[in-house]
Amino acid sequence: MHDNRDQKLRFSKTLTTYPDPTLGIYNGIKKIEELYGVVLDEIEYIIHGTTLITNAVIERKGSKTAFITTKGFEDVLEIGRELRYDIYDLFLTMPKALVPRNLRFGVEERVSNKGEILTPLSPQGLHEISQKIIENKVEAVGVCLLNSFANARHEKIIGQHLQEKCPDVQFSLSSEIMPEIREYERSSATAMNAYVQPLTDKYLKKLEIELKEKGFGGKLLIMDSGGKLTTVQEARKSPIQLLESGPAGGAIAGVYFSKTLDIKNLLCFDMGGTTAKASIIFDGKPEITNNFEAGRVKRFKKGSGLPVRIPVIDMIEIGAGGGSIARADQLGLLVVGPDSASSTPGPACYGRGGDNPTVTDADLVLGYLDPEYFLGGTMNISVEKSRDALREKLSIPLDISIEEAAMGIHRVVNENMANAARVHILEKGMDPRHFSMIAFGGAGPVHAFGVAKLLNVKELVIPIGAGVTSAVGFLLAPIAKECIHSHIRNLESLDWDEVNNFLERLEEEGKQFLVESGEDDKAYHLKRVVDMRYEGQGHDITIELPEDKLDTKSIDEIKKRFIKEYNFRYNRSNDDIALQMVTWRVLVSGKMPDVVVKQNQKDKRGIDPLKKVREVYFDVTGYMKCPVYDRYHLATGFSARGPMIIEEKESTTVVGLNSEVYIDNDKNIVIHIE
Amino acid sequence: MRSSTKIFDPVTFSILWSRLISIVDEAGTTLQRTSFSTVTRESNDFAVVLMDAEGRSIAQSSISVPSFLGVLPMLTKALLKDYFPLDQWTEGDVVMTNDPWLCAGHKPDIGIVSPIFYKKNLIGFIGTIAHSPDMGGVLWGAGSRDLYEEGLMIPPTKLIKAGEPNTTLFNILEANVRAPLQTIGDIKAQIAANDQGIKSLKKMMQENNLVELNDLADAIIEKTEQTMRDAIRSAPDGDYSYTYITDGDGKELKCTVQTKITIKGDTIHVDYEGTSGAHPLSINAVKNYTYAYTAYPIKCAFSPSVPNNDGAFYPITVTAPEGSLLNAKKPSPLGARNITGNMLHSSVFGALSQAIPEKVQADCGSACWCVVLNGMYKNKEYVEYFFLNGGYGARPGMDGESVLSFPTNVANVPIEVLENDVPILVTEKSLVDGSAGDGQWRGGLGQRFAFKNVGEEAINISILTEKTITQAKGLLGGGDGLSGDIRIIPERPFPKKGLDKLHPGEELILTLPGGAGYGNKSKRAKSKIDNDRLMKYIK
Repeated sequence: MHDNRDQKLRFSKTLTTYPDPTLGIYNGIKKIEELYGVVLDEIEYIIHGTTLITNAVIERKGSKTAFITTKGFEDVLEIGRELRYDIYDLFLTMPKALVPRNLRFGVEERVSNKGEILTPLSPQGLHEISQKIIENKVEAVGVCLLNSFANARHEKIIGQHLQEKCPDVQFSLSSEIMPEIREYERSSATAMNAYVQPLTDKYLKKLEIELKEKGFGGKLLIMDSGGKLTTVQEARKSPIQLLESGPAGGAIAGVYFSKTLDIKNLLCFDMGGTTAKASIIFDGKPEITNNFEAGRVKRFKKGSGLPVRIPVIDMIEIGAGGGSIARADQLGLLVVGPDSASSTPGPACYGRGGDNPTVTDADLVLGYLDPEYFLGGTMNISVEKSRDALREKLSIPLDISIEEAAMGIHRVVNENMANAARVHILEKGMDPRHFSMIAFGGAGPVHAFGVAKLLNVKELVIPIGAGVTSAVGFLLAPIAKECIHSHIRNLESLDWDEVNNFLERLEEEGKQFLVESGEDDKAYHLKRVVDMRYEGQGHDITIELPEDKLDTKSIDEIKKRFIKEYNFRYNRSNDDIALQMVTWRVLVSGKMPDVVVKQNQKDKRGIDPLKKVREVYFDVTGYMKCPVYDRYHLATGFSARGPMIIEEKESTTVVGLNSEVYIDNDKNIVIHIE
Repeated sequence: MRSSTKIFDPVTFSILWSRLISIVDEAGTTLQRTSFSTVTRESNDFAVVLMDAEGRSIAQSSISVPSFLGVLPMLTKALLKDYFPLDQWTEGDVVMTNDPWLCAGHKPDIGIVSPIFYKKNLIGFIGTIAHSPDMGGVLWGAGSRDLYEEGLMIPPTKLIKAGEPNTTLFNILEANVRAPLQTIGDIKAQIAANDQGIKSLKKMMQENNLVELNDLADAIIEKTEQTMRDAIRSAPDGDYSYTYITDGDGKELKCTVQTKITIKGDTIHVDYEGTSGAHPLSINAVKNYTYAYTAYPIKCAFSPSVPNNDGAFYPITVTAPEGSLLNAKKPSPLGARNITGNMLHSSVFGALSQAIPEKVQADCGSACWCVVLNGMYKNKEYVEYFFLNGGYGARPGMDGESVLSFPTNVANVPIEVLENDVPILVTEKSLVDGSAGDGQWRGGLGQRFAFKNVGEEAINISILTEKTITQAKGLLGGGDGLSGDIRIIPERPFPKKGLDKLHPGEELILTLPGGAGYGNKSKRAKSKIDNDRLMKYIK
C-alpha cells in the first residue's frame, strides 16, 4: 500500500484463496485495516494482478468456445506451425487447440493481403453458422479471417451478426484482439481470448460490484502483461492481456529501481519456491516481447504452448527454486530440477516425508539459512533431515562429502540460472557485463551473489521488501494502452500520408481509452514505435519513430536509428539491404504514479544489527565464521566487507568473499563484487 | 583412451559440461538472430559444434537439426588430415567449404570452421553449418541433372586468413549466387557465431584455470560413450532386417532401402546392403548424411537425453554400398538428398521394432514436402521456400500428431506471409479426413494445401513430394497411412519431383500423406473411435 498522507509504503501479504480468489483480496483489505487502520472507503485505487487467466488456459477450464474463420482454413488453429518443440522426444504431445474441430466453422469470404475483398461474405453461410452456435450452446466465439489485419470489414459484419442473433454469446474479433500478420498466431490469440472471456468477465464484474458494496468508492485497476495498468472494462474486452499479470510487477519495480539507483541496465532476478525468473531493464526500460506462449505442455520448453502475440515483459523462467530437487543422473552428474518438492512434502528439512534433497536443504546445510529463523522463525525445520537426504541421494552415489554435495547443488543451480540469463541477454544482442543485478523473491537474495559472480556482474542490489517486490511494482505502473497496426512495406516505398493517418488514428484510440478511464487526456505521454528489420530477416527490432508528422525526410532518421540499434546489438550492419517496416505501435500513457519506495520503520539507533556469528560454508574456504546481521536494524550508511549473512523475515541475503556491502539512502542493500 | 573422469570432481564436471553446451547455444543464438535464410532461423537448420584439437566434438548446440549430427567433427577431422594439418592454422583463420562429401550432403549447407587459440596454443575448433539462401545453379530441388547444375562448390579454403578476408573468394561467391547480400550476410553470421563461441570459451577457461581442453574432452566423451553403450546393451542381441520402398521419381522408378541392424553387446551396426543404386534424380545421399540420419533415430530410441558429442556415436557404425542411393559418388546429383535421408528412420524403426517395440514410432507421412517459388513480383526477383508436413506416426500408447514430421522439423510459412511475398492466393489448408493409418494407436492426419497463381507471369516452381505412390507403413499390426497426391487445375501432367511452371490462373492442390498406425485396430478404445468420428478425423 502506498499511503499518500505520509508518502510511505506499507506491506502486508496474504495467501491466495481457492476456488474463489476474491476472498483473498478481501482478506488483504481486512489485514490492511487491522495493521494500518486504513478502511476501504478511504482507498483511492486498488491495483489487481491475477493468475486466474493463465491457470484457466493451463488447466483447460475456459468456456465452451466456437471459432469462425475463412472457409477452407478451419484447421489452421489445430495444425499450428508444424514444429516439434523437442527434437529427441519421439513421444511428445503438442498442445491441443482450445476449440475442437466440430466447433470450428468456415464461412465463405476472402480478403487479399492488400485488403481487397476477393469474395464477399456469404450471408447464408453466416446464418447457418450462428444456428450451429446456438444449437451447440456455445458460450464464446473467436473470429479470425485471413488477412483481416489488412481489412476488418468482414470480421465486423460477423460481430454485428452474432450480437443480433446470439446476444448471450461473447465474441472476440482478431482485428481487435491482435491485428497482426500471421494467421495461426492471430487465430490462437483470438481463440484464447474468447475461451477465457466469460470467466474473466464474471470474475471482474463480481469483484467490482462486491468492492462497491463493501464501501470502495475508488477505482479498480488491473495490471496487464506488459507492465501497464488497464481498466476493468478493457480487461474484460481483452482478457489475454492479463496472462502475465502477476510477474510483470517485478520488472516494473526493476524500472523504478533503475531510476532511483541510477543504473540504466539492470538484470532483475526473481527466485521463489519452484522457479526462477529473470528479466531485463535496458536503458531504464523493460524489454517487451511478443513471443509469448500460454498453457505449455512442458512447462520450461519453448514451443510447447499456444502462442499469444501480446506485449509481455520478456522473461525467462527456469525450473530452479528453493523446492527444486537434486539428483545424480545416468551420466553420474549432479542435476537440479526442474521437478520440485513443492510445499508438500516439501524439502527434506520440513520433515513432512520428503526424502529428496532440495535447494533449500543445501542452503540450510551450508549455513545460509538459519533453522531457528526460517520464515522469521515461524516454522521448524531440521538440518539433520537435510543432511540425511544429501547423504543418501548424492554423497554416497557420487562419492563426495555432504558439504560438497550441498555446495554442488548451490553451484549447479546458480550455474543453470546464469547460463539461462546469459543466453537470454545475448538473444537481445546485449552483453551481460554491462548489467547490474537486482534480486528478490524468497530465494533470490540467497543465490544472487553466486549468479552475479558467474555473469561478471559487479553490482548487486537487494531492494527493501525483497519478498513483495512484484506487488511494489504494481504501484509504480502508469495507466496505458498500446494500439497496433500491421502495415508491411519497405521504408523507401511508404505512403507517408497513409502512415500519418493510421498513426493518428491509433493515438486517438489511446486517448479515448484515457478519457474513459478518467485520466487527463491532455497530459498524456505518447510513444510511437515500429518493429522493423532488414528485408528477408525474421527477427524485428523495435525503433522509436521521430516525433510529429512523418514524411520522406524522416527516412534518413529512421534508417539512422535502426542502424544504430542494430550495430549496438550485433556489432555490425548491412547497409545495402532494404529496411522493412512491419508492425506499428502507439503507446498512450497517463501520468506516472508519484510513489517513492521507502521503508516505513524509522532507524532504530543504538540496536546492534549484528545478531550473531555462525559457521557458514563458502566455496573456497569451506566452513568459516561469518557475521549474521538483522536487516531491520541496518542503518543507512552502514558499510562492511563480505562475507556476511543478512536476515529479514521473507528472505536471507548471502554475501560471499571479496565484496563490499553498504546500505543506501533508501535502505537497499548494495553489494559490490570484486 | 585415458581415463580422466576422476580429474574433475562430479560437481565441477557437471558445471563445466553444462557451460560448454551453453557456449555453443550462445553461438547458435547469435547465428539465428542475424541470419537471413528462412530455414536457418525459422527451422533451426544449423548446428554449432565445439571440438577439441583432434576434431572430436565435445558439445553441440541443443537445437540443431539432425542432419548435422556428427558432421562437423567428420569435416574437421578431414580438414586436419587432408587439407590443413595442425601446424597450418593461425589465430583468426576461418575455413569454409560446402563440399557435400565433406560437409552435409548438398551444396547449400556451408561449413565454417575456426581454430581456437588460447595462450598461443591451438586448443580446439568451433564450427557451424547452416543452410545458405542460395549457392547458384538451377533452383534448389530435384530438378538438377548432375552435381554441376547444383551450383558453386567451394573446396576447403581459408575464407579469412589470420584476420584478413579472402576478397577473391567473397567476390566469386557474390557473382554466382541469387540474393548475394543475404548469402554473404549468412556466412558472416556464421563467422560471428564462431567468434562468440571462442570468446565465451576463453572466458570459461580463464575462470576455471584451464589451459587446454583434452582432459575435459576425454571425460565428456568417455561418459557419454559409456551411457550410450549401457543403453544399447539393454536391448536383445540379434540381426533385425527391414525392407522399405520409397517413391523414387513417383512414377516407375521406386527405390528400395534395405536395412539390417545388428545389435551385439554394446554396439549397433547398420548395414544398407541391398539398397537401390544411385538415382538419376538428385535425391542421392552421401555417407556423412546417411550416417547422420541413421544415428539420429537410434539415439532417439535408445537414449534421447544423452548430449551430442563424439562419444554418443562411437558405438554406432553404418555402412552402405559404394555408389548406392545412400553412398553416392561424384557426379551423382545430391540437391534433394533430404527426401531420402528423411525416410531412413522408417527403415531403422521397422528393424528395431523387432528388438525394442516399446521405444519406436510407426512410419510418418514424411519426407516433408518442399516447394520453391521463383519469379518477379513488385519489380524484384523472389525465391520463396516453403515446407509442408504429413501426419506423424503412432507411438505405443499415443496416437500420432496431425501434420508433424519426423525426422525433419520444419515449420510452415504463414499463409499471410506467403501471400505478401509472392503473387499467390492460398485456397485451402486443412486436415485430410481419414488419411491416418488405423491401429490401436492411429497415425496423425496429413494436410491439404492448395494455392493459385494470381500474378500476371508464370511462377517457376521446384517441387519435392514423397509417398504419392507408396504409403507410411504401419507397425506391429497398425494400418498404413493414405498416400499423398498432387493435382493441377486445369488438369495436366505435373512432376512429383522436379521443375515446372505454374501459369497465371493455375491452381496446385497438394495432399500430404497421413501417418501410420501402431498395433492392431481391434484393440483401440471405443471412446477414442467415437471421438475420432465426432471430430471427423476418420471417415
